[in-house]
Amino acid sequence: MKELQELARKLLTDGTVGVVIGWEEGPRGIRPYFCTRPEDADKLVFTPRCVHNLATYLSPRRSNVRELGKVAVVVKGCDNKAVAGLVRETQLKREDVVVIGVRCGGVVLDPYGPAELTANTVADRCPGCDVREPHNTDHLVGELPPPPPGEQRTAKLMSELEKSSPDQRWDFWIEQLSKCVRCNACREVCPMCFCERCLADKTQPQWIDSSPHPRGNLAWHLTRAMHQAGRCAGCGECERACPMDIPLMLLNRKVAQVVADSWGYKSSEDPAVAAPIGTFNKDDPQEFIK
Amino acid sequence: MTVKTLTTENLSHLAAALLADGTEVIAPVKDSSGKVDYRAVKQAAELALGEALPRKSLKEFFLPQTECLFYFKQVKNDVELTPVPTTFGPRIVLGAKPCDAAAVDILDRVFDWDYHDELWFGRRQATTIVTLACPMVDEFCFCTAVDIEPATRQGADMVIVPVAGGYHVETVTEKGEALVTKYAKYFSDGGKQAEADTFRAEAKAKVEKNLGINTKDVRAWLETHFEDGLWHELAWRCHGCGACAAVCPTCHCFDIVDESEGVNQGTRRRNWDTCQAGKFTLHASGHNPRGEQCNRCRQRVSHKFMIYPERFGVLLCTGCGRCVRACPGGMVLPEVLRRVNAAAQAAKTEPVTEGVGQ
Repeated sequence: MKELQELARKLLTDGTVGVVIGWEEGPRGIRPYFCTRPEDADKLVFTPRCVHNLATYLSPRRSNVRELGKVAVVVKGCDNKAVAGLVRETQLKREDVVVIGVRCGGVVLDPYGPAELTANTVADRCPGCDVREPHNTDHLVGELPPPPPGEQRTAKLMSELEKSSPDQRWDFWIEQLSKCVRCNACREVCPMCFCERCLADKTQPQWIDSSPHPRGNLAWHLTRAMHQAGRCAGCGECERACPMDIPLMLLNRKVAQVVADSWGYKSSEDPAVAAPIGTFNKDDPQEFIK
Repeated sequence: MTVKTLTTENLSHLAAALLADGTEVIAPVKDSSGKVDYRAVKQAAELALGEALPRKSLKEFFLPQTECLFYFKQVKNDVELTPVPTTFGPRIVLGAKPCDAAAVDILDRVFDWDYHDELWFGRRQATTIVTLACPMVDEFCFCTAVDIEPATRQGADMVIVPVAGGYHVETVTEKGEALVTKYAKYFSDGGKQAEADTFRAEAKAKVEKNLGINTKDVRAWLETHFEDGLWHELAWRCHGCGACAAVCPTCHCFDIVDESEGVNQGTRRRNWDTCQAGKFTLHASGHNPRGEQCNRCRQRVSHKFMIYPERFGVLLCTGCGRCVRACPGGMVLPEVLRRVNAAAQAAKTEPVTEGVGQ
């Protein structure tokens, strides 16, 4: 923690950056913190409650953040995949951001809930994590904690759902998506939802019904899942942000699995790893073209 | 006001009797994952009274998140409109959170302002609200700071207060009286006033510790700080989603859309909207008077603590704390109010030129 605070203080003092985006202990658990003054650097923390993917604040949509000057951002390995995603998709120049990686032993599901990391509280993306030590960062801080406890719940739920009949799956999703209030929290917290004008906001023509009825909700969430194919960093922020607790990562994970099986692509911390959506090879699998 | 006692068992019988009589019963219900929502119940056993705060407030039963206003159909060179009914069958809400009932009363004012909203008042008229006095949910409850208390009668037709063995019952309106009269056999005479008063006082004292502000001073500060660093600072963290507005019992802004359904026909709908979304104020010209998130963060606070009280004499906030609990970015409205209040108090003793934010 001290290492992180001292680094942030140095970067702000010598003018390397105008803001360090990290986490602080807020009135209600851990929350994102925008540190603009060296004297505030001691507020920065890193604990298993540092759930939020701060890479979302690097999106070009956040013009107000860019006004603070050059940005340093604190990332876990999983968050760093989103930084790479933004660079890969030319939304961010790597040299425009100072990436501070933190070695991570997993985070909890809810930054506002219990602080203790157990098999019950661990965030779903953590068990089996392959990026506990972030790569391609400008700075790397902290000691490497032991691996996260528990197992991935979504993977289990997904395989159960895959075994059920199409009718049962349809019922499951209609029930889940009927809860959606179209607050767009899933979209707004997502680092990869950076479109200046989202398809869902277009009205001429109105591609997606804006009404929160099952028809509109299904259209919205399936479209979003498809738009995340080969792009989703897997951070799970959409699911965490959902005020109605819709298991959105089931959709994203399923799509990610299809992409992995078909094109061998997995969300990566390396911007140079080409995503299937933006590349073409003559020997690409074509079985899906009938 | 009639005072009665209702045993826990009889509350269940009352719910069953209401259902048997064809009254729609809305109550907090727990789902398989333990989350609580207000929902129309099919049987009395579903009631989960006194559990956690429902995820969404009561407003969806008066202002549904999507509702049809009318159907349209093109017939040759004319358009045929089919209206929707504006009268509704009898409904009762059992065990509403007092802050949620108060919100409905607060919103009556805006829905009867420049236009008398038939759909809102149709549902209002059909619905009897029975609130269950609240012991406080957690440290983000702040109803007492916004002129409401955890057992407020505002918006309620009948209030029930937990006492040993059941509830102390107080009727507030004629609708509440009618309920007690029609289902008299479930209620016993006389209340447990002393016990209920103690419950109320204890809950109030607990919530008062969470936040103490002078809302008049907050309003005065807002009136003079349209431009302030605070709004920029809030906007850094804010994602600009509408989770806060969706779960808020008093956020009532809506969008109206025409959805085509088939050829030459469709539905005009009213959907929840939020001032936190950039699209909310986007003009057809491309200009957006609230083009930045800082403008939108300011709007939400200003509407609740300056604009609405100016227009209707009441705050547009019941202190339920749902916005705090729902925010993925860690925004905390009581914290904002505390800071604004502190700045307003400081301004009383010495004129300040600096704002609240960095």
